[in-house]
Amino acid sequence: MAGPAGWIVADELVKSFGQVAAVAGLSFRAGPGAVTAFLGSNGAGKTTTLRMLLGLVAPDRGSATIAGQRYTELSDPGRVVGAVLDTGGFHPGRSGRDHLRVYCAAGGYPPGRADEVLELSGLAGAARRKVRGYSLGMRQRLALATALLGDPPVLVLDEPANGLDPQGIAWLRGLLRQYASDGRTVLFSSHALAEVEQLADQVVIVSAGRLAGQGTVAELAAGADSPARLEEVFLRLTAGAGDGSAARRPGAESS
Amino acid sequence: MRRLTAAEFRKLVTIRLGLWILLASVAWAAGYTALALTYGSRAGGLTPPLTSAAGQHALFAIGAGGAGPLAAVLGAAAVAGEFRHRTAATTFLVTPRRGQVMGAQLITYLVAGIVLALACTAVSLAITLPWLHARGVAISLTGHGNLAVLGGIIVSAAVLGAAGAGLGALAGGQLTAVASLLIYLYVAEPVVSHITALNAWTPYLPGVAADGLTQAAQAGVRLLAPWLGGVVLAAWAAALAAAGTVRTLRRDLT
Repeated sequence: MAGPAGWIVADELVKSFGQVAAVAGLSFRAGPGAVTAFLGSNGAGKTTTLRMLLGLVAPDRGSATIAGQRYTELSDPGRVVGAVLDTGGFHPGRSGRDHLRVYCAAGGYPPGRADEVLELSGLAGAARRKVRGYSLGMRQRLALATALLGDPPVLVLDEPANGLDPQGIAWLRGLLRQYASDGRTVLFSSHALAEVEQLADQVVIVSAGRLAGQGTVAELAAGADSPARLEEVFLRLTAGAGDGSAARRPGAESS
Repeated sequence: MRRLTAAEFRKLVTIRLGLWILLASVAWAAGYTALALTYGSRAGGLTPPLTSAAGQHALFAIGAGGAGPLAAVLGAAAVAGEFRHRTAATTFLVTPRRGQVMGAQLITYLVAGIVLALACTAVSLAITLPWLHARGVAISLTGHGNLAVLGGIIVSAAVLGAAGAGLGALAGGQLTAVASLLIYLYVAEPVVSHITALNAWTPYLPGVAADGLTQAAQAGVRLLAPWLGGVVLAAWAAALAAAGTVRTLRRDLT
């Protein structure tokens, strides 16, 4: 079994918002030295699950741990986990560099670290511009730069490729592969299955708030007639979940 | 906690909001001080004669009177803005101990209130002292209990800044927080505080308690003694801070 170091473990996570069951008993693991893709249709519970891992949303039941601890129990979480959320997180009137320096101060990193991650994420030229003027791809690079501030051994990224141009996607792919080969843990969600197929060592597929499959693409495709592409595997495993909303699927509500 | 407070100060100084509020409060101080001097010095004017203690207290309280409410607006807009712009989530990723983040925000906007009050007081004095001197009115900062009034202005702006931060965390949105604050302070409370039948308890309302602290007397409004006004205002701020903290601790950031 997995030791705690570097492991992301979701155990029977349940979360409802009012009548809507977003996550309905989801368990999976993501380990160090690998890139794990977290896949699911819109509304399948990916974002809620990632936010439970990151301590931003409190699960109704079950537990989410990183390196053996709940996020809120980590003594210095910025040095353990780097996270990209799916929704901004920038003040439009603050420059990218000032944004990073705020979180350098909060995390206790040297202020020069902001310039390092700006360089690393290809934003050095736009560092002093206000985020208001950033393109979607630049915001995504800034979110990634923020995640890298504490040089963390674990990355949890919600649709990190969203809005990136081809150069950006190539850069991100290289970065995540490098992180995994350094023995770090990378968990990212995505809808771009062709991209995932190139990048991910492991795939976790969630449907209607539950685990629909976990393994390598080859493992998930085992039993298929032909060497199945990830898209076929994904569509087969998530079939029957309708539009992906757990709430609209009879019997999917948490009991 | 020191790191978090440093981060909150950095947030405040890297956007324009604080600067606009500072300019607005300084403009308020200059405008109202000039008005109070012009009209207050006439017979039957708005304020008691400026040679009297009451007249001088009213002059200072009116002059720097924008600092407190604007400190509250700053705290409310900034903290509610954290949720609006979702920077709260980024902060909680670095520090999942949300109570400490709230504590750092309370400290930050308390200090911001002090800065606003000092700026307003400086502007008010820079206009008042030469003006009165030119007209041969003797005024001493240490006389007539004027220092206590100036101190009261600073304390009240500090406490109101922290109260605003608490309200910002408690309110659903940034616009709700700021609009409800302005409507309360400039519409609801002035109306209610002039109702004589209610004057057994209206002095305990937060804005009237703040006026008690600075002795910003308005005709027909009963005020608490400065010390009691300060205690009551601090109790309101503590209640808002506690309620805002509880909301922040329980909130799901989706």
